[in-house]
Amino acid sequence: MSLQDFANTLAATPLAAELTDSTWLFGAVESVHVVALTLVLGSIALVDLRLLGLIERDTDADGFVRRLLPLTWGGFALAALTGSTLVFANPQGYFANTFFLGKLVLLALAGLNVLVFHRFVQPRRNPGSALAPRVSAGISLVLWLTIVSFGRWIGFTI
Amino acid sequence: MTILRGFAVWLAHSPITAAVTARFWFVPEIQIIHIAAIAAVVIAVALINLRAVGLIETDRPLRAVLDTWLRVILIAVAVLAVTGFLLIASEPGRALFRTVFWVKLGLIAVALAVTAAHGLIAQGEGDAEHRPTLARRALAIVSVLAWTGVIFAGRWIAYAEGWPGAFS
Repeated sequence: MSLQDFANTLAATPLAAELTDSTWLFGAVESVHVVALTLVLGSIALVDLRLLGLIERDTDADGFVRRLLPLTWGGFALAALTGSTLVFANPQGYFANTFFLGKLVLLALAGLNVLVFHRFVQPRRNPGSALAPRVSAGISLVLWLTIVSFGRWIGFTI
Repeated sequence: MTILRGFAVWLAHSPITAAVTARFWFVPEIQIIHIAAIAAVVIAVALINLRAVGLIETDRPLRAVLDTWLRVILIAVAVLAVTGFLLIASEPGRALFRTVFWVKLGLIAVALAVTAAHGLIAQGEGDAEHRPTLARRALAIVSVLAWTGVIFAGRWIAYAEGWPGAFS
């Protein structure tokens, strides 16, 4: 099954019909998507700024990250759910959109960055080698800002 | 209405509108800054309200948490006001003539007041301040609802109908 077939399959679902027929459904799901993505961006930016040593320097980094994690994951789950729903409104258009495809690639890279951080950076962290977590945090910050930018650009190019 | 229309006409012919519409990518980029500033407000609001109901940062006094994050909210709201004004300038006949834009402004005032009101309750509570009282829970719920409403209203500017014959 090609990407085009997959798009056609999605477009033929009742959800797709509902999204294109309704005057308010797409906007409502999109609004929830905005709330969710700002929660993700805000909480991740705080974690990254803390790891970079730019904020809350006197608080314990691991504790700070742990407190924010439920907000990040909750926001991400909601953003993924609403984002996937929005695709049904115009699957052929999204799958042919450079910013949409670019956003998916960047999301995968952000996931990889988290994986590397948890598997390799965090366990080996000691006060002497503070560079690795900073690199992770810098990459994360740039990736997530770009992901949100690409998301906004989809709206202008679709 | 006449004042509003006069303002929109003036803005449309001002160098501000000329500047923000000079390149096709200015408006999306201003929107991206607007969204990043919303993210700052959202996380600050989440931290204040979670602290107020005693779910996080209970080792720090509410006043201290409020001092830090209320400042973040005010700086972010200043950025939102500037970028929001520039977005209005990009299309002066749009947001100003849609009811949902004025609902959004009202909700921002309510949301700011309710969020800052945590400070009033925290005053003079002394040792009792770790308790998530009913008033605090109520304030937290209204604060989160109001800010969520602001985001919905903001997104809805794109979908709402303009007032008939208001601006052309």
